[in-house]
Amino acid sequence: MSGNRRGAPPKRDSIFELSKLMDTMVRVKCLGGRELRGVLRGYDDLVNVVLEDCDEFLRDPMDMQIVTDETRKLGKVVIRGTQVSLISPEDGTEEIANPFLGADDDGED
Amino acid sequence: ATKLLPLEVIDKSIGTRVWILMRGRTEIVGTLRGFDDFVNLVLDDAVEYAPDMRNGGQMVVTKLNSEILLNGNQIAAIIPDSNGPPDS
Repeated sequence: MSGNRRGAPPKRDSIFELSKLMDTMVRVKCLGGRELRGVLRGYDDLVNVVLEDCDEFLRDPMDMQIVTDETRKLGKVVIRGTQVSLISPEDGTEEIANPFLGADDDGED
Repeated sequence: ATKLLPLEVIDKSIGTRVWILMRGRTEIVGTLRGFDDFVNLVLDDAVEYAPDMRNGGQMVVTKLNSEILLNGNQIAAIIPDSNGPPDS
């Protein structure tokens, strides 16, 4: 183990290039529960993100875990990469019937 | 068009009113004076919109009326050139 000097650490490629989603409508979920949706206009290595024509999905004031379909307009937004938990394209998502409903019995597998 | 860099968008908004969404339900509006690598912000004439937990979570508006240092740790989103939540 003699004198193995480290230069720059090897550059790791990201497994997903946000360049693929540029100028498309994306949904960004944040830590803490905020959900925003807008057109992806920019980003950086730390996954800070710029969205244009952005809306925020409002949450139920009684229960902040419930995200409603109501939105408010925000406009151009910079989202902090440290707070991003998910970025997904709007095109290619669809709502499906709730698979968790109708569980009347115990120990449902 | 080439992509916008988020930190450049923030930089361009120095001197304008910005609307900050924090991780919880708190929001802050202020005139952006500057920021650092961690996106801690210096804001002037800041106004805080925070839920009042002693009053059923209604939003309470507090004029902070001075320059503040807003810790970047809890900042979720920055909306440049904005006066904040529209009055109901």
